[in-house]
Amino acid sequence: MSFSHKIDEWMKEAEARPESAVTIVKLVAKRLRELTERNEELLTENIALQNGTRVEEYQKRIAHLEYQLDLLKRRFGADESLLAELPAASVETTSLDLLLYNNYGRILRIGLNSDVQTLGRIVDETLQTSEQPRLLTVPPNEEVMLLFTSGRVSTCAVDSIATVETGGEWMWNAAALPDEPRAGEFLVCIMPISRLPLAEFFLQVSRRGCVKKTMTSMAQSILGNHYLGKGALQKLDQPFDITLALKKDRFAFVTIEGKLLGLDVNELNYSAEDRIKLTASDYVIASCVPHLEESMLFVTQTGKVIQREYEGLELSKSPLAKGQALIPPTRLEQGVRFIGAASVRDTDRIAALDSRGNLRVHSAEAIMGAGSIEADGVILSISVIPAEGA
Amino acid sequence: MSVKVGIDFGTSNSGVAVYDGQRVQLLPVDPKNVIPEVIKTVLYVTRDYRTSIGQEAVENYYRDNVNRQRRYVKQWAGEIDVYGADMHYVRDIFVYVDELKPGRLLQYLKTALRKEGYEGTQIFERYYTVGDLAKTYLSLLKQRAEEVLGEPIEAVTLGRPVKFSEVPAQDHKAQETLRQAAQEAGFKEVDFEIEPVAAALDYEQSIREPQNVVIFDFGGGTLDIAVMRLGDPRDRQVYASGGVDIAGSDFDRAIIEKRMLAHFGYGQVRHQPEIMEMIHAIPDWMALPELGTPINKNILEKAVHAGTAPIQLKALEGLIYNDLAFTFYNRVEAGKIALSNDGATIITLEDKEIALWELYTRHQFETDISHYLTDVEKVLLDTISKSGLEPGSIDAVVKTGGSSNIPLFTEMLTRIFGVEKVKESNAFTSVVAGLAIKAFNHTSLVE
Repeated sequence: MSFSHKIDEWMKEAEARPESAVTIVKLVAKRLRELTERNEELLTENIALQNGTRVEEYQKRIAHLEYQLDLLKRRFGADESLLAELPAASVETTSLDLLLYNNYGRILRIGLNSDVQTLGRIVDETLQTSEQPRLLTVPPNEEVMLLFTSGRVSTCAVDSIATVETGGEWMWNAAALPDEPRAGEFLVCIMPISRLPLAEFFLQVSRRGCVKKTMTSMAQSILGNHYLGKGALQKLDQPFDITLALKKDRFAFVTIEGKLLGLDVNELNYSAEDRIKLTASDYVIASCVPHLEESMLFVTQTGKVIQREYEGLELSKSPLAKGQALIPPTRLEQGVRFIGAASVRDTDRIAALDSRGNLRVHSAEAIMGAGSIEADGVILSISVIPAEGA
Repeated sequence: MSVKVGIDFGTSNSGVAVYDGQRVQLLPVDPKNVIPEVIKTVLYVTRDYRTSIGQEAVENYYRDNVNRQRRYVKQWAGEIDVYGADMHYVRDIFVYVDELKPGRLLQYLKTALRKEGYEGTQIFERYYTVGDLAKTYLSLLKQRAEEVLGEPIEAVTLGRPVKFSEVPAQDHKAQETLRQAAQEAGFKEVDFEIEPVAAALDYEQSIREPQNVVIFDFGGGTLDIAVMRLGDPRDRQVYASGGVDIAGSDFDRAIIEKRMLAHFGYGQVRHQPEIMEMIHAIPDWMALPELGTPINKNILEKAVHAGTAPIQLKALEGLIYNDLAFTFYNRVEAGKIALSNDGATIITLEDKEIALWELYTRHQFETDISHYLTDVEKVLLDTISKSGLEPGSIDAVVKTGGSSNIPLFTEMLTRIFGVEKVKESNAFTSVVAGLAIKAFNHTSLVE
């Protein structure tokens, strides 16, 4: 049927029922407006195609996807053909390594065995006086990103770091130094990045509680330029931690004086922003992305453990909140301070480093049951060792 | 204590009601529907044989199917014997089966009851007879009604058209299939009432003096007419009843055939019988999803590549392979319903590869279905003639069923009987209300 014939039919309707004429005109006008808008969109698209903008955009997208594929290949240690045949469930390696690192960029890689409780001892006289070493559990085929105080980043493969003997005594000067900090620079933290393609954002938190969100789609340019930024507003502030998150996640950090702040990742800004009002002596000591089926554990230097459920985390909307107090002020006056926090399941384990240099593994369930971590001295640092398949 | 309910098992919509001697209570059996007392007669069966009805079925279907992935596997379906003049051989038959298909949506279950030669359908690994389909639907409907009432339902009065079929044996078979389905669904006691008679019982509640009434029940599957004497329960009579297989679904089909096929290549594709066959299958919504085979996709893509009506054939491909058939028929039906009030409406379907837009006027609609008007008028006049009454001695004409709102038919009734005699009733609930009254009184008017 020709279009003119259709118009004749519409005219007949208008003749038979004049009130229909208004409806027809309205419907045709609406269509005309839609088509005009669509035409403008197509013209814009055409211009983008002609001047190459669209080509550049797609080239960037392709490069980003290739980069993500490369990361996945490294994670699974597989070539492309094997990757295509991977089952829907991710193939998790069952062995894990614990990285113990200090701010001078020294990293000790310790193989984890499910039976061993005492992993070894680090011999360092300055343990209590210097910046506390930190712990991170990773699979051996992981790729990690190192963040420095200057905002510089670099990457290295875990398997390129030599392992040290479990149960032995370790020295920092014998530890690996995959990327030596530059003059005036210190290593802040290490983050595993093989799950980067599955995450939407990098979340950075500074010592003074400044939070910054960066889209992971920029990962290639960040890693290519070796620069992420300090993520801090004040000159004397320093980056503290970085983690990966999804839009629907929650982000939490805790300070040495026991102030807990929960944030909705979706509502965070892309620019660095102060999120908590801290006293002069307070600073951030741990951050995590808790999940629904996990419990959050907050550990004091004496080993006391405070547990909070996921639902108990209050989300702050205010740009400068005070945070939830984990302990009453009287306890603070008594000298109680927090050294770490983690989001754990019952089946997970926790590695704890004390001030005598002992590195021990504890069951999360037992810690939650007892309400404390047993240690020979003051606890300096903790890390979650995920249960198999977690 | 068990309750006896009335169930209108309609072609497009169903309903359940209960009567306590004073008041008819229409049960809200589909809380997700715009009118909770009306439930769509659709059944969705998933691959693991979980079933749902009404709006929930529609939502499950959309959630699982639209723009989903497909993966076809070749499956052995059986073998055929091929006989020639001097030879005979057996040949294997294979079919392509979409192994990712999550479920099947079944509509027009009532039409299936009277469709000659249609015994049932294969749903994944199980074969469902027509009775099984009706049983599954009625069983879920009963369950919902029991949840609303909070007590078990053991008896039902089911509505039935005046004629399931023109062939008496087929008509009897359809009713018995429905009876057995209801019994298997858990109703211990099942009886029937003709739908227009049920609508008459509902209308009778609103009159004070005896009247000669024509019930004009024009629904989704059939037109049913009853000429009755109402107003005095002791002198209630059915003078005549009649019906014809013309109704809403035929009008939808007419709109698709006359206005929609051009959007999918009709008139532009010639000399390609496979594609023509696909285009001609569009009005049959049960057949359309079955066309989604890899061979057909290949044929369509080749034609698009060759430049044969590329926009239209891409739209056809989208309609078949993105499971948009149900949406498409709903849009057409919605357009038709809109024309009962407006002079013009828009029928649209937009998806990745479809940009269908059709301005459709009441004048066009009336032109497209004008040939049905003659048939409907003939059945109406024949039924009145059978009753021995003259149109002038009819006191009221009661319209019920969704299609009775189409202005073309209202005008016909007005022309024959006069505007003051044509009465509106609730198009979707008057039959079920009458069935509930019948269930309560437990006396059949029609033998």
